[in-house]
Amino acid sequence: MSLNLRQKQTECIARMLNLNQPLNAAGTANEEVYKILIYDKFCQNILSPLIHVKDLRKHGVTLYFLIDKDRKPVHDVPAVYFVQPNQPNVQRIVSDASKSLYQSLHLNFSTSIPRPLLEDLATGTLNSDSIQRVSKVHDQYLEFVTLEDNLFSLAHKPCYVQLNDPSAGDKEIEELVDKIVGGLFCVLATLAVVPVIRCPRGGPAEMVASALDQRIRDHLLSKNNLFTEGGNFVSSFQRPVLCIFDRNFELPVAIQHDFRYRPLVHDVLGLKLNRLSVQGEKGGMRSYELDSADSFWVANGSLEFPEVAVEIETQLNKYKKDVDEVNKRTGGTHGAEFDGTDLIGNTKHLMNAVNSLPELTERKQVIDKHTNIATVLLGEIKERSLDSYAKKENDMMVRGGIERADLLGVLKGKGTKMDKLRFAIIYLISSETINQSEVEAVEAALRESEVDTAAFQYVKKIKSLNVSLASANSASRSNIVDWAEKLYGQSISAVTAGVKNLLSNDRQLALARTVEALIEGRPNPETDSYLSFDPRAPKSGSGASSSHMKGPFKEAIVFMIGGGNYVEYCSLQELAQHQQPAKHIIYGTTEMLTGVDFVEQLTLLGQKMGLGNVGSSSTPAQ
Amino acid sequence: MGKARDRTEDFKDAVRHTARSLGYDEAKLASVMASFIIHKPPQKSPFSKAALKTLESIGELDQFLLKHRKDYTDLHRTTEKERDSIEHEVLILSERLHSVTAQFDQLRAVRFQDAINKAIPRRKLNRVARNDSAETSKSSDMELREPEELRAEPLRVQQQLLDDETRALQVELTSLLDTVQETETKMVEMSALNHLMSTHVLHQAQQIEHLYDQAVEATNNVELGNKELSQAIQRNSSSRTFLLLFLFVLTFSILFLDWYS
Repeated sequence: MSLNLRQKQTECIARMLNLNQPLNAAGTANEEVYKILIYDKFCQNILSPLIHVKDLRKHGVTLYFLIDKDRKPVHDVPAVYFVQPNQPNVQRIVSDASKSLYQSLHLNFSTSIPRPLLEDLATGTLNSDSIQRVSKVHDQYLEFVTLEDNLFSLAHKPCYVQLNDPSAGDKEIEELVDKIVGGLFCVLATLAVVPVIRCPRGGPAEMVASALDQRIRDHLLSKNNLFTEGGNFVSSFQRPVLCIFDRNFELPVAIQHDFRYRPLVHDVLGLKLNRLSVQGEKGGMRSYELDSADSFWVANGSLEFPEVAVEIETQLNKYKKDVDEVNKRTGGTHGAEFDGTDLIGNTKHLMNAVNSLPELTERKQVIDKHTNIATVLLGEIKERSLDSYAKKENDMMVRGGIERADLLGVLKGKGTKMDKLRFAIIYLISSETINQSEVEAVEAALRESEVDTAAFQYVKKIKSLNVSLASANSASRSNIVDWAEKLYGQSISAVTAGVKNLLSNDRQLALARTVEALIEGRPNPETDSYLSFDPRAPKSGSGASSSHMKGPFKEAIVFMIGGGNYVEYCSLQELAQHQQPAKHIIYGTTEMLTGVDFVEQLTLLGQKMGLGNVGSSSTPAQ
Repeated sequence: MGKARDRTEDFKDAVRHTARSLGYDEAKLASVMASFIIHKPPQKSPFSKAALKTLESIGELDQFLLKHRKDYTDLHRTTEKERDSIEHEVLILSERLHSVTAQFDQLRAVRFQDAINKAIPRRKLNRVARNDSAETSKSSDMELREPEELRAEPLRVQQQLLDDETRALQVELTSLLDTVQETETKMVEMSALNHLMSTHVLHQAQQIEHLYDQAVEATNNVELGNKELSQAIQRNSSSRTFLLLFLFVLTFSILFLDWYS
C-alpha cells in the first residue's frame, strides 16, 4: 500500500461533493445532480491545491461561495457546506437554515465537531423552526493542506512563537498541542493507517506524540472507528513510522539560504498553495501554478538553480527541434515535385501536426513559465548575492567557523537586512563556542545596517541555555574534517579545502539522517533514546520495546512542529529515492515558512523577552 | 481509504436533548423528530424540472451512443446506411444543443445590456444627489451665519475648519463613489464581452470541425487518385509488353520468309 496523501484527500473531497454517496462509475444522472458549495477561508485553502473550477463542474457544483458572503436564496438546490467546526460558522449555518436559502443542507466539518457546538446547532435550528433543512452532518477529517503527493501543512500560524513564548501558560500550550494532534489525526484518518510513533525525549515533540497516541487509542476503542477499512491483515504488516520533531531539533534549516529550485522559488518568490505571482515581462503581475500537473516542476524541483537553467535551455532546444520537424514535414519545400506518395505523406503529416499542436502548445507554455520564473529568480540572486550567502552558510555549517574578515565583509556587502540577519544567525548557531569579541563585532555590523537584532540576541540566549542545538549541529559535521584539521597543518590546506568541498556537496540534514536511522531500525546512539508509541499495543507494555516496533519500515511520515520548508522536503525525498529498496516518505509540518517568516517569529520572541534595540519601533524592511 | 464519520445521529440526539431542555412535550418532540425521517418532498420550480428533464435527455443520448458504439465501429455488423442513420440522429441533436446555447447567449447579452443601462441612470441620480447636497450645504451656511455673529472669533474659526473638513471628505467620498461605479460598469461590460467571446469560440469550433471533415475528404480523394494512377501504370506496362512481343514476332517472320524463299 503506497501512501499518496494528495490522491486520498482528493478522493475524500470528491466523495464529499457527491453528498457522501459512493461515486458512480458511469456517472449516471440522479435527482441531486446540481448543488452549491459553501466553504470558509480555511477550507478554501484546503480545496484550492486539489480541485479546480472545472473539476467542481464535473461534480455538479454550479456555484461556490464563501460562507461569510451575503448569498441569495436558491430554493430547490441542496447545499454542501465544508467549514471548520467553530462558533461563527455554526451561527452562520443556523442563519442560512432559518432564512431557507437552500433546499437542504449537507454539513461537512473539516474535523470532528465537539458536542457543545453540535448542541448549539441543534438549539439554533430548533428555535428558528428549520430543523428539517439539515439533511446530513459529517466529520470529514480533512483539516490539512496537501501541497504535493508527499507534502502537507496544517496551516497553523504562528506556531513557533506560541510554543516558545516565555509568557505562555500551560493552558495555551495544551490547546496548541491539541490543535496539532487534531491535524495529525486528520492526516492519519485520511491515509487510514495506524503508525508507530517515534520522537525525541522532551519538548513539544513528546507532548504531541503522547497526546496523539492517546487520541488514537481512544478512537480504536470506539465503535465504527476510521481505521478498520482496508483490512487489518494488510495494515498489521505494513505499518508506517511517524517521526515527530521540533523546530529546535535543527534550527538552521529554517533560516539557511538554499540554492535548489523548489526551496529557492518558495523562499525568494513566496510560493503559496502551489501558486506564484511574479513580475511579468511588461510590468504586470503574472500568476503561475506549480503542482504535480507541471512535469518540469516535478522532475527538476530539487536540482540546483544553475542545473535548472541548463534544463530549461535543453527543453527549449528540444521544443524548437520538434517544431522545425513538424514545419519541415508539412511545409512546401518539396511541393514542386508532383508525386503520389509525397501527397499521401503530406496529408498524413498534416494530420499528425494538427494532432500534436495541443501538446506542443502545452510544452511551450511550461517552458515560458519556467523561463519567466528563472529570469526573476536570477535578478533576485544577482541583486542579493544569494549564491554567496548559500555557499558561505553551507561552509559554516560544515566547517564550524568562518574567517572574521569574510564574516564582516558579507555583513557589509550586498543583500537585504533579512539576508544579513539570517547569515549572522547561521554564524551564531554553527559556532561551537561563542567568541565574544566576534559576536560584538557582528552585532555592531548589524546595527550599522539598521537590522533589528532581537532575533540574533534571542538565538544567542537560547544557545547559551541549551546545548542540544550545538550537539545536533555538531553531529552533522563529518568526522573526517575534524581529523584533517587536527592532524595536518597549513601546508596542505589546499587538499583539505578540496576534501571539504567534496564533503559539503554530500552533506545530509540531521533530520534526513535521523529519519534514515529510524526507518532502518539499526542501533544508533542518537535514536536509541527516542521514545516509541504503538497505539495498537496494550497500554501496559508501552515501556517495553518489541522487535516489531523497531523493525525496518517501508513508509514513513515525518512531521516538524513549529514550521518547515521545502529544503527538508527535498532532502527527505532524495533520501527516499536513494534507499535500496525504495522507501516512501511523507513530510508534513505545522506551517510552510520562508526564512524571512521564521526570522520574523524569532524577532517576535526576542522582543517578548525584552531583547533587541531599546525603543526601536521600526520593523526590518524586506 | 479514509472515510468520513456520519454525525447525523449525534445531531439528532443533540436535537432531542435540546428540545427536552427547551420544554417540548412528547407530541411536539415526536413531530420534530419525524421531520428528520420523512423529509418534505422538495417543491421544484418549473425551471428546475425542465433542467432535470434536459439532463435526462442528454443521459439518454449518451446511452444511445454507448449502445450503438460497437455497431458503429464494427464494419460487419452494420451497413453504411445504418451508420449514416446513427450519425444523422446524433448530429441533429448536437446542432440543436448548439442553437439552444446560442439563444441563451443572446438572452444573457440582453440582460447585460439592461445592467449597463441601469448603471447609467444611477450616475444621473448621483448628480442630482450631488446638487441637493450642495444646496443643503449652502442653506446650512446661511443658517450658521446668524449664530456666528453672536459667538466669539475662535469658535467661528473652529467651526469653519470643521466645515472645510466636512466638505473635503464629501468631495473625496463622491469621487470614490464615481470611481467604484465606473469600475462596476467596466466589470459588467467585461463579463458581457467574455460571454460573447465564448459564443464566438463555439462558432470557431464548428468551423474547425468543418475544416477537419474537408481534410478527411481530401485525403480520401487523394487515395482514390493514387489508385487510378497505379492502374494507369499497370496498363502502361502491359502495353509495353505487347509492343515488344509484336516486334519480336515480326522480326522472326521476316527471317522465316527469307529462309523459305
